[in-house]
Amino acid sequence: MSGAVYGGDEVGALVFDIGHNTTRAGFGGEDSPKLDIPSTIGVWLDSHDDVTQKRYNIGITSINVRRSEMELTTFLKDGMVENWEIFENFLDYIYTNALRAIPNDHPLLITEPPWVTHPKREQLTELMFEKYNVPALYLAKNASLAAFANGRPTCLVVDSGATHTSAVPVHDGFVLTQAVVKSPAGGDYLSAQCRNYLNEKGIEIVPPCMVASKEITKSEEAANFKRRVYQAKLTDSWHNYMVRQVMQDFQASVLQVSDNLYDEEVVKTMPAIHYEFPNGFHKDFGVERFKIPEPLFNPVAGIKSGIQPTLGVGPLVTTSVGMCDIDIRPAMYGSVVVTGGNSNLQGFTERLNRDLAAKTPPSMRLKIISAPGATERKFGAWSGGSILTSLGSFQQLWVSKQEYDDGGKAIVQSKCL
Amino acid sequence: MASGVTVSDACKTTYEEIKKDKKHRYVIFFIKDERQIDVEVIGARDEEYDQFLQNLQAGGAGECRYGLYDFEYMHQCQGTSESSKKQKLFLMSWCPDTAKVKKKMLYSSSFDALKKSLVGVQKYIQATDLSEASQEAVEEKLRATDRQ
Ligand SMILES: Nc1ncnc2c1ncn2[C@@H]1O[C@H](COP(=O)(O)OP(=O)(O)O)[C@@H](O)[C@H]1O
Ligand SMILES: [Mg+2]
Repeated sequence: MSGAVYGGDEVGALVFDIGHNTTRAGFGGEDSPKLDIPSTIGVWLDSHDDVTQKRYNIGITSINVRRSEMELTTFLKDGMVENWEIFENFLDYIYTNALRAIPNDHPLLITEPPWVTHPKREQLTELMFEKYNVPALYLAKNASLAAFANGRPTCLVVDSGATHTSAVPVHDGFVLTQAVVKSPAGGDYLSAQCRNYLNEKGIEIVPPCMVASKEITKSEEAANFKRRVYQAKLTDSWHNYMVRQVMQDFQASVLQVSDNLYDEEVVKTMPAIHYEFPNGFHKDFGVERFKIPEPLFNPVAGIKSGIQPTLGVGPLVTTSVGMCDIDIRPAMYGSVVVTGGNSNLQGFTERLNRDLAAKTPPSMRLKIISAPGATERKFGAWSGGSILTSLGSFQQLWVSKQEYDDGGKAIVQSKCL
Repeated sequence: MASGVTVSDACKTTYEEIKKDKKHRYVIFFIKDERQIDVEVIGARDEEYDQFLQNLQAGGAGECRYGLYDFEYMHQCQGTSESSKKQKLFLMSWCPDTAKVKKKMLYSSSFDALKKSLVGVQKYIQATDLSEASQEAVEEKLRATDRQ
């Protein structure tokens, strides 16, 4: 080992898994992240004594604060940092307020999407070494981490998160970038579909903080509640975020993917689910439980508004496998690893299994692998990173400060493959 | 991406003894101190596949291992009544569903290092349960690449 290699088993590493919905952060070697906070941030202008300053509200409590003209926004686009100013404030919050850790004390592993671009990786590397002075850095593809955590270094990772569902072939731990296929439909798409549906039915979604008190009503009866009125001028972006929180709960509690292609006659016979909204309105949901998520698997059935899925989850997989070398296709069908928060949707894995079984060439075996618990799938990439950084053997793989100083930011391209 | 785990010389030597000299039937590898892949068990030439499976799982349901096996089966050439004996070396990563995530992570992120060290293996198999590690499943995989 040369002197440039990072020699640090002394202190634990930090691991950040940055997602569109939330960011997971914590100490390497621990089982779960210390922190799982919204990647949505409140931005507002603070003016007094003729000075106007931009302020950032970060963390679940701070973004829930009802502050006039606070816009909720994110620093991410397509899984990559887009607004660096907000991102730096976000990092400051994680280090200083949340983890109480000094950046210079801990090597840092950050997860990145399979389609990350070279300039983005280099910019992130530069920021971490120059501004935060981290002693060592590693950028790890979230799909590789999911593959390893499921015991399959060669596999096809299906990651359904908030803003995307993607099919990512991984071979011997390396992402085959040219064969990654993604669709802009994930959990956020379903949130929007649920909201549209409820709007059409005249069901108002009132976020919990806007409900002062509520009376018990009969099923389907109009809600009887007192609305909390705030003096603050709340923005649309703030309101939309609060509504999306309600929708996420609705999605997880009510929606289910139909086993087969959506057939109204079949789903009619399935049990309905009773759901109560924050304002007290409650009712049974029947066929819509299945109808709303159907476009995720079968886009033609989609209601036309906003983001539309381009390919169903099954075709995402088959298209991606079709772009892989013919020799590894059997290994891909033989190891389909399902991960991401949105894959926790009831029936997701079962439907994928059905759709793929019909498309897998007869000479190949299909096997779908998924972590059993919802938290494992949500924290999959974080836990993978956490374990990796705690391995003795991994210490030589870090990009050390010394190496960065000698080789410049491009070093990340050759060391973090 | 990989773990940085290395491969001991003993792994390579034992592998050559199987490949060149047909001295053993199989070998089980394990990862020592989270740093190096080493030889755990060597299977005699006359041992059966079941003994390989037993040794592969000797660590219990929570453990992972790698196994290399010199597999023999009869191959029927199409259009003739002749059959010939085939020998193929396969390398298996055994990461059962029941293993701890830490073990799965360690073994799957180190598999590539082992693959690269053992040159000439005909088939790589990832197994997470017995339906993938059984003699029948393995034979099916090995036959799939035979010319009909
Ligand atoms: N149990 C669940 N059932 C259905 N959807 C869920 C469940 N848990 C999380 N989700 C959805 O998963 C999405 C977040 O997934 P995640 O993989 O954490 O995304 P990201 O990595 O983009 O932040 C959200 O849209 C959320 O609504
Ligand atoms: Mg994600």
